[in-house]
Amino acid sequence: MKQEIQSLRLSVILVRILFVFILVLCCCVPVMVHWYDTEYAAGVGLVSGSVYWPLTICLYLAAVCGEVCLWNLGRLLGNLTRDIVFVQENCRYLRVISWCCLLVTIPFGVFGFWRFLSFIVAAAAAFFGIILRVLKNVFDKAVELQEESDYTI
Amino acid sequence: MPIIVNLDVMMAKRKISSGDLAGKIGITPANLSILKTGKAKAIRFSTLDKLCEVLDCQPGDILEYQRDDHADET
Repeated sequence: MKQEIQSLRLSVILVRILFVFILVLCCCVPVMVHWYDTEYAAGVGLVSGSVYWPLTICLYLAAVCGEVCLWNLGRLLGNLTRDIVFVQENCRYLRVISWCCLLVTIPFGVFGFWRFLSFIVAAAAAFFGIILRVLKNVFDKAVELQEESDYTI
Repeated sequence: MPIIVNLDVMMAKRKISSGDLAGKIGITPANLSILKTGKAKAIRFSTLDKLCEVLDCQPGDILEYQRDDHADET
């Protein structure tokens, strides 16, 4: 039990750290993208030329999705800490998280035309999104069973 | 759901209060309220057994099947 609480606390801390980290990273995006575009510029794609704007837009869109994802993950973990597990609210959080992962596929998929490597990130995001969607479906079923059990007199 | 719970009717016939009935059949008044208001999704045989014993009636006096005409329309 103690180990379970510690594990939950660790998850909450990690989610908070990552939330702040992405916020900080958002401030550094123009500098990082400029460095990548002018100094590093690795990778190939169908479209040649500067990747400054495509990559900047892609990273900001992904950051928004990531922050929404982490916010909902934090709320979900908060519910788990309070022993509120199989409720509709948690299913809603999981649905939002899964949609966020699936939405990240779009900017990285588009950026794939500039750098093919980006397709891998898009595929990974889609994979995560689908896994979370299935998890959300499992949760939906669990909520239904829990309600049935609660309302069996 | 087409199953109607007529528990309140039987309780009125036997002149027994919710608190008394809940105590005699060993469930909480909150659960009895769920049963009375028709919010329950299922009823255990053991609960039905005790209800029939305390209220001196048959399961059919408590539960009633009513055909759902709206389901046929859609």
